Amino acid sequence: MAAHKTVTAPVLPPITRRALFASFLKMGLLGFGGVLPWARRVIVDERRWLDDRDFAELIGLCQVLPGPNVVNLSVIIGARTHGPVGALIAVTGILLVPVALMLLIATGYASVAQDPLTRNAIAGASAAAAGLILGTAVRLLLQTRPPPRGLLTGGAAFIAVGILQWPLLWVIAVLIVVGVAAEWSATPTRR
Amino acid sequence: MPADLHVLTEIAVRFGALSLVAIGGINAIVPDIHRVVVDVEGWMTSAQFADLFALAQLAPGPNAMIVALIGWKVAGIVGAVIATIAACGPSSVACYIAWQWSDRLQHSPLRAIVQRALSPLAIGLILASGYTLARGAGRSPGALALTLIATAMLAWTRINPVWVLLAGAAAGLAGLA
Repeated sequence: MAAHKTVTAPVLPPITRRALFASFLKMGLLGFGGVLPWARRVIVDERRWLDDRDFAELIGLCQVLPGPNVVNLSVIIGARTHGPVGALIAVTGILLVPVALMLLIATGYASVAQDPLTRNAIAGASAAAAGLILGTAVRLLLQTRPPPRGLLTGGAAFIAVGILQWPLLWVIAVLIVVGVAAEWSATPTRR
Repeated sequence: MPADLHVLTEIAVRFGALSLVAIGGINAIVPDIHRVVVDVEGWMTSAQFADLFALAQLAPGPNAMIVALIGWKVAGIVGAVIATIAACGPSSVACYIAWQWSDRLQHSPLRAIVQRALSPLAIGLILASGYTLARGAGRSPGALALTLIATAMLAWTRINPVWVLLAGAAAGLAGLA
């Protein structure tokens, strides 16, 4: 019986270490408000390392693993082309500019933080930034359309961590077991 | 200086532990980072935390930048570097190992089941992060309205988030937040 969806590791073309570093540096540099759109653009459109389908499958894996999904993406693409060294190159590339720029902004921010106009601007951006996160969650919810059992575990995670402010580790530990058990029992038995 | 070393160790240990549970990315653990940084360690107030988060959104890069900023606020540039490495290192190693396993588990139904179970959980955690931040930032009805508008823009349009942030900052400048 052919599986309806075969997940095979896509073969990446040879990528030089220099190209690897330059590409991930670019994603980090341009990724205002989120790196993912830029990661797709560079990897799929510009460099043609992967097609959209392979990219989507890779991101799926990166999202269920701990850590920022684009950092995980860097690890996997880097590792696939140059092993552990490649992973290190790609992760360094994607983090270098943002961290440096962040510190530059932060240093400047400290000196103007007491300025009332700056405080007002930051307060407004801060309110909008919270909306970016909420909007991303809503968007993911609408795109993935989880079944009721998924809505229950996701809702429980939101209430426990967001409203009740319980420690994340325990909430995740319990809900992973509950979620996997629910999916397991909902999955029809295979041949 | 032993005090600095103590703080740096504390940063490395705290973020290193959180790194391994950050399913859904750093945004998913913002409530827990908030709990550790504000309630447990007392490194800053809740309002300062919300400000740092907003600042982190204004720069490019992965959302891990909030971690670099906290490290910087607590222990300067060395703190920022250590916090970033601690927050991304363990999860990256875990990812590397998981990637090697997943090639072997390609045809296992278990992989698909785990993936389906984790996806809504990650969404719930991201939602919790947004809620925690909205509560910190929502100091006025105007701020609350900004959050709701930004939510709708991100959820239902393809607008570049930078414009949403800049519009938020402009509204704040105009005294609306």
